[in-house]
Amino acid sequence: MESVEKTEKIAALLEEKFGAKRDAKARWDVAVVVAAEYLPNAVEFLKNDPDIRMDMLVDIAGIDYLTYPNHEGPRFAVSYAFKSTVNQGCRLRLKVLVGEDCPKVPTLTGFYDSADWLEREVYDQFGIVFTGHPDLRRLLNHVEFVGHPLRKDYPAQKRQWLSTNDFLLPELEKRLEKLGYRIVQRSKEVLPNDDEFLEGSIRE
Amino acid sequence: MGNVAEKPNIITTSLDFLVNWGRTNSLWPFPYGTACCAIEFMSTEVGRYDLSRIGSEYVRFTPRQSDVLLVAGTISYKQAPILKRMYEQMAEPRWVIAMGACASSGGFYDCYCTVPGIDHIIPVDVYIGGCPSRPEAFFDAMFDLQKKIKDESYMKQRAERVKEQLEMIKAKTAEAKAEAQEFAREKISLAKDFVVEKEQELVKKAQFWKE
Repeated sequence: MESVEKTEKIAALLEEKFGAKRDAKARWDVAVVVAAEYLPNAVEFLKNDPDIRMDMLVDIAGIDYLTYPNHEGPRFAVSYAFKSTVNQGCRLRLKVLVGEDCPKVPTLTGFYDSADWLEREVYDQFGIVFTGHPDLRRLLNHVEFVGHPLRKDYPAQKRQWLSTNDFLLPELEKRLEKLGYRIVQRSKEVLPNDDEFLEGSIRE
Repeated sequence: MGNVAEKPNIITTSLDFLVNWGRTNSLWPFPYGTACCAIEFMSTEVGRYDLSRIGSEYVRFTPRQSDVLLVAGTISYKQAPILKRMYEQMAEPRWVIAMGACASSGGFYDCYCTVPGIDHIIPVDVYIGGCPSRPEAFFDAMFDLQKKIKDESYMKQRAERVKEQLEMIKAKTAEAKAEAQEFAREKISLAKDFVVEKEQELVKKAQFWKE
């Protein structure tokens, strides 16, 4: 019960400092809705405040409210799940509402390293752009994929044209160079080939 | 090609038998495990079921040293090119087993990210049903594959291969010949031009001295 009181206190602090609102839809945990421009400040406060110390970013989830019953407001939302490894049982969710016409949210890669891939995944599946992200590419879908499959208006069974693989070697070479290796020969990218493609993938 | 036997005879059939005997009893699998079927394969491999009874002793984790590509699990679109390259890296002769529903047909993943069966990417020899398939089913597939290999003729394949190579060599030599001829022609025309130029120069000089 102590941890519940703690999180309630944190939510109250966020409401006071960053103009956040309690999410009425969250019935099982404490969720707070923050405006996108206050997100980095709020996260910095959560992470660095000596009493709170939310030093673990568990997950970032995108939400599409297109077919949600009785929903009002922006179409998308990004939900951040935080956890404290210092204060036991201290968990909190932050939620940022994002409009359809300009889906942009500031990145959290400066605070948490795990935000890198999590944000890439949300970008891949929902098309929400994280401004300031160092390497915003698709994470789960292939490079030639068009559209964002977890949006509710994407037909779930629609497969897409595939004729090349991801060019991941420059990343590897960079890491090797960081470790002190010398790259003798740079690898070349395999360009998409119209004759070689995955059977069953459909071109628009 | 007088050296290649047109019809199978006692020597070629015994050689076929010998080669197939060797191949059937040393099928080294290369496990491409991405899901729960790979766990079933592990239990096939170890003590209780013991795949090494039929000679598949070594599980090779490199495509260069293995004979059977064992695709066990869901294949997503992102890794489809990688699986294809893995297959291309394997040395002939090579066989492919699609283990479980996902590898055979995409299983229940009828969605944007899953390949509906690996036969969209690479040729498959044996399919195994089940989700995941039992080790007994895997053994059955291995026996099927062994039967299939016993029917193959090494000598026939070799003759075809030699024919292909001969044709390729012929085409290559013809190409090289044409190239060489063109090169010679160019050289000759260049030399001719050079000679003509020199002659003209000499004529000019002669005229100059006459004057």
